[in-house]
Amino acid sequence: MSARPARRTTPGDFIPPALGLATVVFAFVAMEVLIQTNVITRFIVPPPSEIIGSFGRVIVEEHIFSRFVLTLGECLTAGVMITVFGVAGGVALHRYKLLQEAVETWVAAMAAAPVVLAYPLFMVIFGRSAWTIIMIGFVAALPPVILKTLEGLSGTRKVLVNVGKSFNLTASQQFWKIMFPAALPTMFVGVRLGLIFALINIVGVEFLINYGGLGQLINDLAERYDLPGTYAAICFVILVSVVFFMTLEKAERWLRPFD
Amino acid sequence: MSLPPVSANDILMADDVVVRFETAEGPITAVDHVSFSVRQGEFMSVIGPSGCGKSSLFNVIGGLLTNHQGTVKVAGELINGPHKSIGMVFQEESTFPWRTVVDNVAFPLELIGMPKAKRIERARTFIKMVGLDGFENRYPGELSGGMRQRVSLARTLASEPKILLMDEPFAALDEQTRLLLGDKVLQIQQQLQQTTLLITHNITEAVQMSDRILVMTYRPGQVKRIVEIDLPRPRTSEIVGSAAFGRYVAEIWSDLREEASRGMKDEEEHALHEGASS
Amino acid sequence: MAETVRLKRTAAPAPLVSPVTMLRVAIILGVLASWELMSRSGWLYRDVVPSWIAIGKALADLLSSAEYYFHLSVTAGEIGAALAIGGTAGMVVGITLGANRFMSKAFESYLYYLGPTPKIIFFPIMIMWFGVGPGSKIALGTLSCFFPVALSAAAGMRQIDKVLIKVGKSFRANTWQTVWKIYLPAMRHPIINGVRLGLGVALIGTLLAETKLSNKGIGFLIIQAYSVFDMPRMYAMLIVLFVLAIGANAVVGRLGGLHTIRR
Repeated sequence: MSARPARRTTPGDFIPPALGLATVVFAFVAMEVLIQTNVITRFIVPPPSEIIGSFGRVIVEEHIFSRFVLTLGECLTAGVMITVFGVAGGVALHRYKLLQEAVETWVAAMAAAPVVLAYPLFMVIFGRSAWTIIMIGFVAALPPVILKTLEGLSGTRKVLVNVGKSFNLTASQQFWKIMFPAALPTMFVGVRLGLIFALINIVGVEFLINYGGLGQLINDLAERYDLPGTYAAICFVILVSVVFFMTLEKAERWLRPFD
Repeated sequence: MSLPPVSANDILMADDVVVRFETAEGPITAVDHVSFSVRQGEFMSVIGPSGCGKSSLFNVIGGLLTNHQGTVKVAGELINGPHKSIGMVFQEESTFPWRTVVDNVAFPLELIGMPKAKRIERARTFIKMVGLDGFENRYPGELSGGMRQRVSLARTLASEPKILLMDEPFAALDEQTRLLLGDKVLQIQQQLQQTTLLITHNITEAVQMSDRILVMTYRPGQVKRIVEIDLPRPRTSEIVGSAAFGRYVAEIWSDLREEASRGMKDEEEHALHEGASS
Repeated sequence: MAETVRLKRTAAPAPLVSPVTMLRVAIILGVLASWELMSRSGWLYRDVVPSWIAIGKALADLLSSAEYYFHLSVTAGEIGAALAIGGTAGMVVGITLGANRFMSKAFESYLYYLGPTPKIIFFPIMIMWFGVGPGSKIALGTLSCFFPVALSAAAGMRQIDKVLIKVGKSFRANTWQTVWKIYLPAMRHPIINGVRLGLGVALIGTLLAETKLSNKGIGFLIIQAYSVFDMPRMYAMLIVLFVLAIGANAVVGRLGGLHTIRR
């Protein structure tokens, strides 16, 4: 049939997201009313107005910024580690086919394994410290980086490899000038997935062992029975993780404009 | 265009059907005041160039497109949704990949609540009719494209519709398979005396199978001509290549050629403007 | 000349044990050996790396104690309930969003971005709402698995071949028939994958909640072992847990695989 023109955005395009937002706002207002009229007791759910009100208090008194930096630092450390070891691992598996055949399914199984459940074990080894948190993040986030690196290298289009051969490149040149750059986009996907796994596990473990940055804040406030504060802190953590994921998505899209 | 004289055994009547769509470039008329009727037991083809609205017509008669002017009646009943007297065979692959052949064919019988033993038996009859006996317990994934279309056909036939409505069911198949499947369809149609309406762009197919051919113009789609095909019955694909066959094909092609060129020119202009504005 | 050589050469006999298997065995043995060495050397603090004999004994003790199976059943029950509630809710929401472009554009991005957040942080709220018993664990598990199931179901709806829906309409199937006989079977792959993912996160969510605050269940046992520094027992429990988790994942995956044979 005839070619379809690109769809220009119409005003109608903004209605669904607006409806979504409106629904959320409506939910908040409804909760406020229900709680203020004591239909829902405020000892289980504080009114949204109080929660929002405690945002300021939480940010200042609980040193949100330094906690955020701490959590971010843990994530970045884990991130650097998974990038170094994950890419190296993926390259090694690609280079040594026998190793790949032997070990690849194990790595995939590790990706599905609930590593975070072993946190008491990590605590025994590393103590109740930032290293427990970082190491759990590292172990949980490593498999996707390895697997995606492997996938990227294995998936290099045959024709590109042949181009290299036609120029008589050495094995090392072949790798660094052709395979590695070709695999970079997929490797970024792996690192992104790894970072997501890392953040989830890191915040979770911070909460569980009551140490660290943002995760620990929630635990603290809950143990102090500061209800509005707890809710506020949870909202804050959700906000941070959402922003984190969106940033990662944008970064990946910026790095792969040709896909 | 008003309805031609109604005969007693007209089973499908389309009266002044108009279909319009809103597109990004404004409204287009896909079907423009089309009226025709189909006699009981006859095989009628609707042929036209791409963009003549024949798919829209298919959807209107099948009841999948209700936003139109004019009426379509089957045996006197108005169509305003999928009607139990109309069975549809689609152009795309439409077998359910998770059901065996016999379960696919029994599907319409399952929907109306027929007991299992009875519907399996009924389905087997139609599976045999399309020549797939022995394949009852296979999955569509194990069959070729032509075989899968036969399953779709058997499934529709199993609902025993008064009118079999097909939208280019063999378009995805190669020419030889298509001719042989056409034979099969003809055989079935003659055996069941099944009223059939076939939408196609393939002239050979239309002449091979039909009693009458309705030629449509390019958009806005109107009835250009209705051609009576006076070739003897029963027919097989051997008829392709006979002199009479050739004459009919030539006649229809001369009608179509004009419309098809108009269509091509229109598309070229369209693409040109697209490039300019983007 | 080359011709005769080729004709004479027969296929080399296949090795009894493939090189891959040999490498795997070698790796496993290597890990076990270095573990045992570390354990005996006393290089790491006391029992952090217990000998395999100790772990083996703890494993045997564990698997033969009725108490363990009691806790296992508590945890399994919690996970099952979480998967049932969260999974069903996720399916309903996912199918609704997938069927309707408008709803999808309005609400799906919330699910998409909330999905990857660590649900354990909601645990204090769950305790307030559902108490300190199994209720709060089930609630956390439900919350965890709702998101992946809903997102998989929504994506699954959109990848259904449109013509199959038209077939259903042409045969005048009613809504119930359309959902059961067309939507769900057509989505079996995404659904199985969503359930697999949902099982994984429900397991994690429930167990973590148990480690945080509980007096029953596997998570509780693990923390208990930690608090008395019974390392062999902790290792034993973790081994069983990981085997079960990976096994359950594989079983559900295989269920999805069985369907692929029919494709």
